[in-house]
Amino acid sequence: MLHSFDAVIIGGGVVGSAIARELSRYDLSIAVLEENTDVVCEASGRNSAVVHGGFAYDRNSLKARFCVEGNRMMDQLSSELGFRFIRCGKVLVGNTDEDMKQLERMMAQGFDNGAEGLELIDDARLHELVPAVNGRFAMFSRNSGILDPFLFTINLAENAAENGVKYFFSSKVISIDCRQNSYLLHTENDDFSARWVFNAAGKGAKAISDMLGIEGYRVIGSKGNYLVLDKKLGPLLPMPVYPVPSNTYMGIHVTPTVDGNVTVGPDAITTDDFSYYGVPADKMEYLRKSASTLWPHIEKKDVIRTFSGILSKWIDDNGVIQDFRIEVRDDIAPNAVNLIGIESPGLTAAVPIARYAISLMKERSDIKEKKDFNPFHRNVRRFAEMSDCEKSRAIASDPRYGSLVCYCENVTEREIIDAIHNPLGVHTLTGIKYRTRAMMGGCQSGFCQMKIEQLIEKELGMRPEDVRYMRKDSWILSGKMREGIDG
Amino acid sequence: MAEYKDAVIIGGGPAGLAAAIALDKLGVHDIVILEREKELGGILRQCIHDGFGLQRFGRSLSGPEYARIFIDEVIERGICFHTDTAVISLSPDRHVKAVSPSGLIEYDAGAVILAVGCKERSRGSIMIPGERPSGVFTAGSAQAYMNLYNRFPGHEAIILGSGDIGLIMARRLTLEGVHVKAVFEILDHPNGLERNIAQCLDDYGIPLFLNHTVTDIHGNSRLEGVTVCKVDDCLRPVKETAEFHSCDTLILSVGLRPDAALLDGAGIMIDPRTGGAVVDEHFMTSVPGIFTSGNGLHVHDLADFASLESEHLAVSAAGFLKDGLHNEMDVDVSCGNGVGHIVPQKIHSADGFSLSLRASSVMDDAVLRISQSGKDILRKKIRRVRPSEMLMVDIAGGLVSPDGNVEVEFI
Amino acid sequence: MKKLTCIICPNGCVLDVGSADGGIKVSGNLCPKGEAYARAEVISPKRTISSSIRVIGGDSEIVSVRLDRAVPKDMIFPVMDAIRRAHASAPVHIGDVLIHDVAGTGADVIAIEDIS
Repeated sequence: MLHSFDAVIIGGGVVGSAIARELSRYDLSIAVLEENTDVVCEASGRNSAVVHGGFAYDRNSLKARFCVEGNRMMDQLSSELGFRFIRCGKVLVGNTDEDMKQLERMMAQGFDNGAEGLELIDDARLHELVPAVNGRFAMFSRNSGILDPFLFTINLAENAAENGVKYFFSSKVISIDCRQNSYLLHTENDDFSARWVFNAAGKGAKAISDMLGIEGYRVIGSKGNYLVLDKKLGPLLPMPVYPVPSNTYMGIHVTPTVDGNVTVGPDAITTDDFSYYGVPADKMEYLRKSASTLWPHIEKKDVIRTFSGILSKWIDDNGVIQDFRIEVRDDIAPNAVNLIGIESPGLTAAVPIARYAISLMKERSDIKEKKDFNPFHRNVRRFAEMSDCEKSRAIASDPRYGSLVCYCENVTEREIIDAIHNPLGVHTLTGIKYRTRAMMGGCQSGFCQMKIEQLIEKELGMRPEDVRYMRKDSWILSGKMREGIDG
Repeated sequence: MAEYKDAVIIGGGPAGLAAAIALDKLGVHDIVILEREKELGGILRQCIHDGFGLQRFGRSLSGPEYARIFIDEVIERGICFHTDTAVISLSPDRHVKAVSPSGLIEYDAGAVILAVGCKERSRGSIMIPGERPSGVFTAGSAQAYMNLYNRFPGHEAIILGSGDIGLIMARRLTLEGVHVKAVFEILDHPNGLERNIAQCLDDYGIPLFLNHTVTDIHGNSRLEGVTVCKVDDCLRPVKETAEFHSCDTLILSVGLRPDAALLDGAGIMIDPRTGGAVVDEHFMTSVPGIFTSGNGLHVHDLADFASLESEHLAVSAAGFLKDGLHNEMDVDVSCGNGVGHIVPQKIHSADGFSLSLRASSVMDDAVLRISQSGKDILRKKIRRVRPSEMLMVDIAGGLVSPDGNVEVEFI
Repeated sequence: MKKLTCIICPNGCVLDVGSADGGIKVSGNLCPKGEAYARAEVISPKRTISSSIRVIGGDSEIVSVRLDRAVPKDMIFPVMDAIRRAHASAPVHIGDVLIHDVAGTGADVIAIEDIS
């Protein structure tokens, strides 16, 4: 089947979905092609979820510019899209003279980059900010923060969908035919023709770039492993604590999440395998030991989960990590915006990156803003966050708000059903998890997974063997034990 | 707008039902059971195997039948219960807040009885390395999928951990045509009851490998297999022994812990050994008027004992409602050599009581010694000591004095 | 001499079973049931099982069932075949016989819960 659109965005991660959402302000037909079954399966959902200040990037780089811009607009994005963002600040903790020199360099670089709210603080102030931290002094970045990485991306995508963007999942682009005035994209399923193409494929961006004829980029993977600690640790860590960074690696840090957990990581291991997310045993121990030198509360018994993410870094012939590359090569691939090397701070910078990518399109094509763009997105309303009065009213309006499904996180049947009917049509278990927090608690889905699976079957009329955990082939059940006689 | 109840019982499984019936028998009628599932019975609803009730009724029943005896009596006695009603908070002054489809319900209780049961350790809590495909189930969730929802978890299974639910599931899966390749246990002894090794594994030729554990999980989408290693004396995997086993299903039966979710909010002291509340010989927690028993206090080997414990609790709770708090002493009970955990952890009176404990290792012909300040309270010869079996010892009244810790150890 | 684990109760006694004077001699048992179990286990081992039967028109797709008495061990899989093929119509009551004399063993398959 062939679908035609004005613009096709390849990749539905945070950058692809930011482009989709920002482009949906214009009077265009837009599609997003995503190889996975949801928008947060790769790097966008696998990171520290820190909103960076913009001091740790080279002067005059796109990384620095878009990071500072993204940081400034995060409050507005949070209120429009309804994901949680906490401007909690962060500290970079040092002990040695060399650390101090590096922090002073960061301060100066940050000043030149336009990052505001940076100060060097002494031991007393540091411990006032983060009581249990190990360190003699620090750089405090007041404007840094944390956000919900799942809902940031999901809500950008769902808001785009609410503004008319069509999402196609399990749609990996296999080849691209460059025609006179358009592109023909072949996916595993359908074909798509588009006047404009955006390559926001993240880990697949080099392959797409090659398909567009823009060849020669060298991209390496940098894998970071993380530990997730129990919610009881959250209150002990008011803000992220980092070691003194270099311009290319932030170091292993401890970060509170917006839900009150703590993440520990990432290490940075160079890899060319962009699909292996396994966390090895020795890395778990290394992370714990390494981060314990910064913050003493990391104990094995409090680890509830591990995860990893892989950043795609563009490097030059000498292996030096390069800036973001956002380009239209009119000579090779006109009307194709090519994004290469989008790594950290890609989460912070996603919307400025998107606007810049769209500006390249606008320079070359006359596009008109539509009148009815709606910048606001409404989440699945969370029962656990309601006041008692709101809870009573909610149950009165729909008794399914009174039926708990996930006991650890107090997620109700109504929320699960709302999440199942999300605007993107995502119906994986992890899709429900990211949208509601069900299955994220202490029992890690032991009690509620079955009920959620049953609700997915019932609400969508699916067979048990068709329900998926996260990826296309991640079936959960092999079928019914006793087959139906009455269906 | 909280309603007053003499006793609010949180949880309608074997512990909660038994406590409610016992309270009713003792003349405490103004009580309510709050059950978060849509039916009473707790986890017994999915335990369709037999072996329940041997201690109590002298015959072997399935879980649902065992629960049914209690449920019928609750109904017969007209004891008030609400299902689909989940408690979301408990405060130290015994204020209980719950949600149900009919609204937010609040109680002020003369006594609160926590009979909340336990939860399974998950993959995260034992930090199994590797990828995160689908196909990794806790034994209890696989059991629920099959026994409650008529769903198959997969075609070819490996079981990690030799806990009873894992062994029971090995048999259940085999009977249903799922190929169970092996059970791997990290310790040098099985975690489940001997009879379950015999009738669930040996009967079906399913091999059990002690001193082995899963060290890697493979598969980006669905589970493709696991790497298994032998472990050394310190339980560290020996890399050279690594072997890959293909399977699409991994069942984790790696231990149970009391569900402690409500304890923090009520300021109840927790025993890190059991993972449940610290209680005295009356099953009262560190917060006056809040009692707990069953698997929510410490994990039992048999439901029969959870019910029995709750009946003892009911006597104490009825006494508290009538006479209030009367602590005569404050003595700690401590775990010595070979003792994994013990309940109660505190003694507050000279009353007789029952001590429950788990050994931390396998012993034959051991002597259990209970002493205070070097003086024996009791010595008991035990022919066979297994960590998988709970031991219970009755201590007569008047044997504990107000001075010094009570020490429990194997000698 | 043969070692058996008694499965009658949670004690799980380890039994030594040997032959003496042309008969069977059992030791290691804590109670007489152990001896009886060992004798039966040597002559004709029996087991009981639990499973599920399809329910038509009920609020659950299946009803949990068990055998009302032990059957010879080698009959377990034939019994399972019969259970897999069977179906019941709602309502089902606890104790209802859903398969009589399953696979010719003389045992009944009974419901262990209500399905409405």
